[in-house]
Amino acid sequence: MASLPKRIIKETERLISDPVPGITAEPHDDNLRYFNVTVEGPTQSPYENGIFKLELYLPDDYPMEAPKVRFLTKIYHPNIDRLGRICLDVLKTNWSPALQIRTVLLSIQALLASPNPNDPLANDVAEDWIKNEEAAKAKAREWTQLYAKKVDDN
Amino acid sequence: MLKMNGEKKRFFDDELDSSEDAKVNFDQSLQNSESFLFSENSISKQEDNDQSNIPTIEIPSDPKDEFIADLRSVIPEMSLPVAEELYERFHKSEDNISNALTYYFENYNDTNSLKTQELPSSPFSSRSSTRNSSVNSSSHEGSPVTHKRGKGYGFRREKRLKANIQWKRFVGALQVTCMATRPTVRPLKYGSELSFTKSVSNLSPSKLYDSYGRRKTKMSNYVRVFDSQLNREIGRVPEDIAQIVYPLIGKNEISFEATLIFCDNKRLSIGDTFVVQLDCFLTSAIFEEKKPDKKPTTNHSANEWGNSRKTIVETDEELQNRSRMVALISLFDKLKINPVTDENAILEKLNSGIDDQGEVIDLEDDKSFNELMSQDYEEQGMTQHHEDSMNLNQLKTFYNAAQSLESLKNLPETEPSKDVFKLDLRRYQKQGLTWMLRREREFAKAASDGKDPEIDGNLMNPLWKQFKWPKDMSWAAQKLSGSSILVDSDIFFYANLHTGEFSVNKPVLKTMMKGGLLSDEMGLGKTVSTLSLILTCPHDSDVVDKTLFKEDNDDEIIGKSVKKPYASRTTLIVVPMSLLNQWSSEFTKANNSPDMRSEIYYGGNVSSLKKLLTATGNPPTVVITTYGIVQSEWLKLSKTKMNSGDIQASTGLFSVDFYRVVIDEGHTIRNRTTATSKAIMELTSKCRWILTGTPIINRLDDLYSMVKFLQLEPWSQISYWKMFVSTPFENKNFRQAFDVVNAILEPVLLRRTKQMKDIDGKPLVELPPKEIVVERIKLNKTQNAVYKYLLNRAESSVQSGLARGDLLKKYSTILVHILRLRQVCCDVALLGAQDENDEDLSQGNKIVNDSKELDDLIAQTNKENQSGGFTEEELAKAIADIQQKYENSEKFRSLECSICTTEPINVENVVFTECGHPFCENCLDEYFAFQSQKKLDFNCPNCREGISPSRLLTLYKDESQSLLLKHYDNDPKSAKVGALLNHLKLLQDTSAGEQVVVFSQFSSYLDILERELTEALPADSSKVYKFDGRLSLKERSVVLQDFQVKDLSRQKILLLSLKAGGVGLNLTCASQAYMMDPWWSPSMEDQAIDRIHRIGQTNNVKVVRFIVENSIEEKMLRIQERKRTIGEAMDADEDERRKRRIEEIKMLFE
Repeated sequence: MASLPKRIIKETERLISDPVPGITAEPHDDNLRYFNVTVEGPTQSPYENGIFKLELYLPDDYPMEAPKVRFLTKIYHPNIDRLGRICLDVLKTNWSPALQIRTVLLSIQALLASPNPNDPLANDVAEDWIKNEEAAKAKAREWTQLYAKKVDDN
Repeated sequence: MLKMNGEKKRFFDDELDSSEDAKVNFDQSLQNSESFLFSENSISKQEDNDQSNIPTIEIPSDPKDEFIADLRSVIPEMSLPVAEELYERFHKSEDNISNALTYYFENYNDTNSLKTQELPSSPFSSRSSTRNSSVNSSSHEGSPVTHKRGKGYGFRREKRLKANIQWKRFVGALQVTCMATRPTVRPLKYGSELSFTKSVSNLSPSKLYDSYGRRKTKMSNYVRVFDSQLNREIGRVPEDIAQIVYPLIGKNEISFEATLIFCDNKRLSIGDTFVVQLDCFLTSAIFEEKKPDKKPTTNHSANEWGNSRKTIVETDEELQNRSRMVALISLFDKLKINPVTDENAILEKLNSGIDDQGEVIDLEDDKSFNELMSQDYEEQGMTQHHEDSMNLNQLKTFYNAAQSLESLKNLPETEPSKDVFKLDLRRYQKQGLTWMLRREREFAKAASDGKDPEIDGNLMNPLWKQFKWPKDMSWAAQKLSGSSILVDSDIFFYANLHTGEFSVNKPVLKTMMKGGLLSDEMGLGKTVSTLSLILTCPHDSDVVDKTLFKEDNDDEIIGKSVKKPYASRTTLIVVPMSLLNQWSSEFTKANNSPDMRSEIYYGGNVSSLKKLLTATGNPPTVVITTYGIVQSEWLKLSKTKMNSGDIQASTGLFSVDFYRVVIDEGHTIRNRTTATSKAIMELTSKCRWILTGTPIINRLDDLYSMVKFLQLEPWSQISYWKMFVSTPFENKNFRQAFDVVNAILEPVLLRRTKQMKDIDGKPLVELPPKEIVVERIKLNKTQNAVYKYLLNRAESSVQSGLARGDLLKKYSTILVHILRLRQVCCDVALLGAQDENDEDLSQGNKIVNDSKELDDLIAQTNKENQSGGFTEEELAKAIADIQQKYENSEKFRSLECSICTTEPINVENVVFTECGHPFCENCLDEYFAFQSQKKLDFNCPNCREGISPSRLLTLYKDESQSLLLKHYDNDPKSAKVGALLNHLKLLQDTSAGEQVVVFSQFSSYLDILERELTEALPADSSKVYKFDGRLSLKERSVVLQDFQVKDLSRQKILLLSLKAGGVGLNLTCASQAYMMDPWWSPSMEDQAIDRIHRIGQTNNVKVVRFIVENSIEEKMLRIQERKRTIGEAMDADEDERRKRRIEEIKMLFE
């Protein structure tokens, strides 16, 4: 494994010391490029009160290359497929080395708040969303209850 | 001279006297035939005719009784009637007893079935001459002739003559087919005594040999077969025999007895053949010890002092010696006497009564006869010893053998006393200490393993071979005594077929000198081992202090004729300048005794060394100096010597006799013609040590200087060395050369390698792993353009050279071409830079003068790089925009790079995009590289505005230190600098404070690197050191000391010139190294890497070698690979070297 650039260390430190509200990101002990991430569902969204687990991996070419992010928690969202892959421009073509883990996660949180069924990844979900937005949102809420329920005890 | 008298007498004797004379001769013959059976007690008559009191000269009272007694003394069981009959038959003949015995054997002794009996026997009565048992087979020669020759041989001859021949002993017989050159009136008698003689007695060797010592003419022209009785030439011998016989005739070391055994019983006409049995005897003379100092050594050393560059030409005497030696070897070959390989087997055989039957060798049956005839002298001489040529693997085997692993493993360990030695030695170092102490004969101080500590012991000198005396099958023995009785006292004799020396006693290897060659591989701690020796044995225990002062006072009085004062308490250590301080500090580290100290002798800091060492109460234990000092003192001394003839140095290193001299990196003296080497040789001491990890750099002869320094007699004489090592090696007789080298060095050389295992099977040294990575690099545009341009020129030059076949004539031009290419791979700015290590290229520099064109080229490519850049107006606008964005220039000091999140960006590294966003230069470079590799657009990472590498801005400081914007030149760094910077940055990020060593062979490149790195790296987080040959001693130690201190906040970078720092330095504080350019010799690179990968290194070592892709550097890698496999040591042959050079050049340009 290539050694860890200073920037990653710096970012990691800041994520821990100065976390983004509603978002946690912790590196693995044995691989500092691999992060366990949780994102709280934004209020006023169908995902409210849900806690979504994600994994984030910084490739060797980071920050020239975007981090790889995937939902681990099942989620009903037109831009996130069943495997948890995310359709988000900053993770693809619009990546810039000036972006950081923090900004990427904020973008994902924003994506939860405002799904974009016109640029879908999960086509069936997107169709539902366009046909009957309310029903789709209800299903999203249902899934959130089902899969992303906040477990207070733990 | 006695012999001459004898000859003279016989020569002029008339027939009447001959009976008496014959009798005397016969008695001699008897004595002699006895003498080689009962070797000690009889003395050859021929030599001591007048002096010896052997009673054979007494006239017998009764001729008949005497006759019978004589017969019976030969054949004790002979019955009286037979003896009386023989007396009747022969008492009137001239040669009565001899003929009687011949007759007896042929008629009475039926059991004696001899091969020769198949030959028609001549009537015994006509055997008129006595057997001439003379040592000198040319007995017919008159004394005047002998005398003349005596002159020709010089002192050697005289020496020989003085020697008494005590006895001679049969070694073998040959049947020689000779050709008659004179017709004879009657058939020659069977058994007539013949002799071989030189036709021209006083022939100068230069007539026979050319200047290379090769035979010019046929020896057979100069050897004649004489009828001893008639003193008349009858024929010639074949060439091969002549070659053997000629150099040996007339010397008393080998005695030949020739007997006619076949002439077809008819008179000889010219051209007829006849067969002669040639019995060969070794006489006692050959076994007498020759003093090696009879060799012209004293002359040589005297010559060498003033007139060193002359190669030594073989003198007539040496030539004769050599021809004698070759003749001896050939003779042994012919006689089929082979060295004994298993002494015990033979002894056993002898005890059980079985014995090999010696045989007369019939040359006609010898298949190789004809071949041998046609072969050349050297080859023929060496047939027995010829070996196929040796490849490098065998050289390695030699090295391994030289280590004699087993005995090393079993060396006991000597623990140096903690009172004097502070450090802990490793196990093998303790063994090494034992070995070193033993080499200095300090057995009391060395650990003992209970065995006899005398290592040299009973080892037979391997140059010598053991031979078994063959059964006596000589004519005389067979005819006269029938069977030979072997006395078991002397079963073997010993011969050194390399020198032609013989001995009856087992030659035991003796190396009396104290000291040796510690040749442990780099990094095994030669320094520490040596210090442990010095501290354990700081002064000569034989010398008591009080006498010291006395001696010294005596010197003052008696003056220069007296021996140098003896600094019995001081070891002189000679080291390369770069190691001076290291030795000193290592000494301090190791020393635990307040009484011992070290002194650096350098640059006149010690006013009177002599006084300090010999006249004060507490002289320094160690004086450390450099090769340079030794050399300059020596030069001064030899100058005064020339002028005043005063031999004694009054002060300085040459004015005292040291207790011990140690030369570190001893291969420095490998070229014995250099002043340094000569100076070192002149240092005097009781013990002498060489430390070197690489005793052979280029050729086997490198070892000669070591041997000379160690004063290993007799090898330290160049003539010996040449004869046994250089010459055989040049003649591709590798085996012999290595045998000898091995024999010379084995007792004095200790070499351990890192791979060796100790007695428990553990490796001697466990170093952390090292990783060597080749990083391939692309040239930047300018470099690429210049490289292509230069490559074209070089190629055409090589092509034309190859086409015309004079490639090597243009060698220096081509070297310049190659150098240019290598320089471009590093940095275009290196072009034209004069490297101090390549002075010899200055000539070639003029030949390849292309600076004008090159400048144009560089300017042009630079322009190309700028295309697409700003116009004047655009630039002004961009500057204005940015200035507007930042309120004042102070803000430029607190910029953040969004790519690496560094804050603030070092102002020297700031690059602004056109849209006004700041980045680190490297980050943006990396971004451009990544995007172009992925074929993506260049957008500002911050605002996604399109950007271009040629439309960037950077900051600079004006006179008032305020920051201003200017256009950023996007192609300023050579590829390697960029790559190095990336590595350094990464390293700094990941392991803070890690020291780094950067190697290059171009010191001007180090200058460039120094500039570039200091510019590119922020001063508060990194520090660049430079270490090269231009540094003074003081500066060197300051640099090294400072570099070695770890500072977590700063990355210390040491730029190290290979030439100055490639050897000896200990830089284990660093574990990262960068090789900026490849070297021709892989071993040089290994040496460099070993600066950090050695004992004391605790981290994994990582080495990155920057190699420019598809360039001459890659080809150099291939050549390195080749050198590794073929090996550089085999470069001895000039032709071979040339061939290889051409191949290498071809490889470079294919």
